[in-house]
Amino acid sequence: MLEKYREPLSSAIAEGEAEQAVELTRQALSEGVDPLDIIQGILVPTLTRVGERFQAFEIFLPELMMAGDAAAAATTILEEAIAAKGAQRQHLGTIVLGTVAGDIHDIGKNIVSTLLRSHGFNVVDLGRDVPAIRFIEEAEKHHAAIIAMSALMTTTRPAQRDTINLLKELGKRDAFKVIVGGGCVNAEWAQAIGADGYAENAAEAVVLCKRLLQVN
Amino acid sequence: MPAHWLSEIMRRSHDGPFMREHDFDMTVAKTARQLTKKYGIRFDPQTPVPWDDDLADRVYQAGLELFLEVGVYNMDTSRVIRFSRDEVEEILRHEPGQVVLGEGKDAVVMKARKVEDKERPIVHSGPTGTPCSETMHPRILISCAQEPLIDCLGAGSVAMYHGQEIKPGTPLEIMGSRRDAIAARMAVTAAGRPGMHINDVAVSLTCAGKMAACNPQFGLRPSDGLLVSQMTELKTNFDQLSRVAFLLDYGIRIVDLMTPLIGGVGGGAEGTAIVSIATHLLGATCYCADYRMMSHTHLKWLNNTDRMGLWIMAEVGQALARNTRIVTLNDIYTVSGPGTEELLYEAAAGAVTGTVSGMNIQGCGCTGGSLTDHYTGLEARFAAEVSRAVVGMSRQQANELVLKILPLYEHTFDAPRRGLPFQEVYDPLTVQPKPAWTEPYARAKEKLASLGIHFVT
Repeated sequence: MLEKYREPLSSAIAEGEAEQAVELTRQALSEGVDPLDIIQGILVPTLTRVGERFQAFEIFLPELMMAGDAAAAATTILEEAIAAKGAQRQHLGTIVLGTVAGDIHDIGKNIVSTLLRSHGFNVVDLGRDVPAIRFIEEAEKHHAAIIAMSALMTTTRPAQRDTINLLKELGKRDAFKVIVGGGCVNAEWAQAIGADGYAENAAEAVVLCKRLLQVN
Repeated sequence: MPAHWLSEIMRRSHDGPFMREHDFDMTVAKTARQLTKKYGIRFDPQTPVPWDDDLADRVYQAGLELFLEVGVYNMDTSRVIRFSRDEVEEILRHEPGQVVLGEGKDAVVMKARKVEDKERPIVHSGPTGTPCSETMHPRILISCAQEPLIDCLGAGSVAMYHGQEIKPGTPLEIMGSRRDAIAARMAVTAAGRPGMHINDVAVSLTCAGKMAACNPQFGLRPSDGLLVSQMTELKTNFDQLSRVAFLLDYGIRIVDLMTPLIGGVGGGAEGTAIVSIATHLLGATCYCADYRMMSHTHLKWLNNTDRMGLWIMAEVGQALARNTRIVTLNDIYTVSGPGTEELLYEAAAGAVTGTVSGMNIQGCGCTGGSLTDHYTGLEARFAAEVSRAVVGMSRQQANELVLKILPLYEHTFDAPRRGLPFQEVYDPLTVQPKPAWTEPYARAKEKLASLGIHFVT
């Protein structure tokens, strides 16, 4: 039964047709298709392909955003169905993500958020201009495995180190993996501030998170 | 535009329709896509410098329609500031079409140039988007200010203050902003051009930081300029609008900085060109801008010298030149760095495209602004020399020329040649380029001469 929906639902998501994706998802559920199978068998591979096409510049941000929105709309229905069965969706891990204090640039961070979600991570997006303590509090609240920080400007980049230093000061450095990225960030900086990893782009961020959490 | 208009912008910032930011982004994306189809706008990678007037006019109409349809998003209130067509047209009618930059014998007039204009563009240079070290920054500024073909200087950005990292919103931002303004004033003075226009102090990320740069004696004067930024795409906030309030009062030139992302919310080349027109209209309607700095940036490579970037530069320049009196410049961003021939070819492609398309020039944002001290005056000199050589050239000829230049560098985008920092290619003491830079410069000039560029001697 899953096969019947694979092509049309995948196509609806890739094309960013949210209403059609929702309708097809409802139909599939009404015909008894397992919601987890839909997520793992259709949504995740579709968004992975969309992400790859975006990284290759075959499609652009609007297509990525629309596909992400369509998948999110379908996922809401699927998670309700999973909850109704008394089950819980298994995520690859929770990542608390944001642009650091003083920095209001968030396009890159948003792309990372979309791709991480598409690969099955639970992403708590804190938005932009996020103070160090909020990264930590939200990571604790959501039992996150990773804190991910973005910074575009050389003058806002030090805020990434502030969060790492605060984690150390509070005796919580080992509670989370910390990764960094953004226009002015590179591997040398990540190493210098004691981050656990650096990703140059959104696709690398997905690979990095999977490696750090040892998941596929 | 009268200053009281800013009060109206504030009113609309509070009373305009509420919209979630993601919904605004999607509205911009979808509307740009619809308008691309409606106006039949097509990017052709074989025509990085188009010469189709009707296409340029359609790009303008699409950009105007986008602006009227989606408005401007105030990120602090989550409300949309909208304008009527009559309001926009009335504001554009009052565009003066030129602005005096600098003072005394060093003053220049930067104009809204025409397509294939016979008059040369004004050339700006300085590490506006490139981080500099505290030690090299003053020398980098002098290397730009001393170039005879450079008309205006950007004061750039230093991330440290006496060894401490500068954080926005702290006293160090104020102190860093003051220091960089003084360094720029000293640089133009040292170059024997004390009245040269200084177009920004980029270290400051807040209104307070920008204000700190202003000091008629030792910092920025009313004849200089400061940037008011847009957030991608078509977004503002109260900090930016507060800058406008102060800058209007100080009487300094207001520079509207826009950074439309190629491959971003606007989509591909067509949508990004349409968005770029709309961002110019934001500068007119919300920022009372005296001139615009168009720094469209490739989402992946951080440059604008690829085929899409050049096409956008050309279309936007031509669209504005044919339909408005907006004064604008294209901010050339490259993947390559100082000491490489590729940087000079990227600079040349940007200079040719902008010059024949009605724009003024700024350059060069080497390495996409990613590497410290990767900025010198020599690449700006080269861009200016190329620009002078092609003044008055037809767009069709320019397209043929750019098609010959592109293969000299576009293969490096995925593995860029980042070159060397300032101190490796210039003698910091004499502020003169070393052979490591003059030799590639000579080779690039010879190569471009062989492609048909007749440098003015």
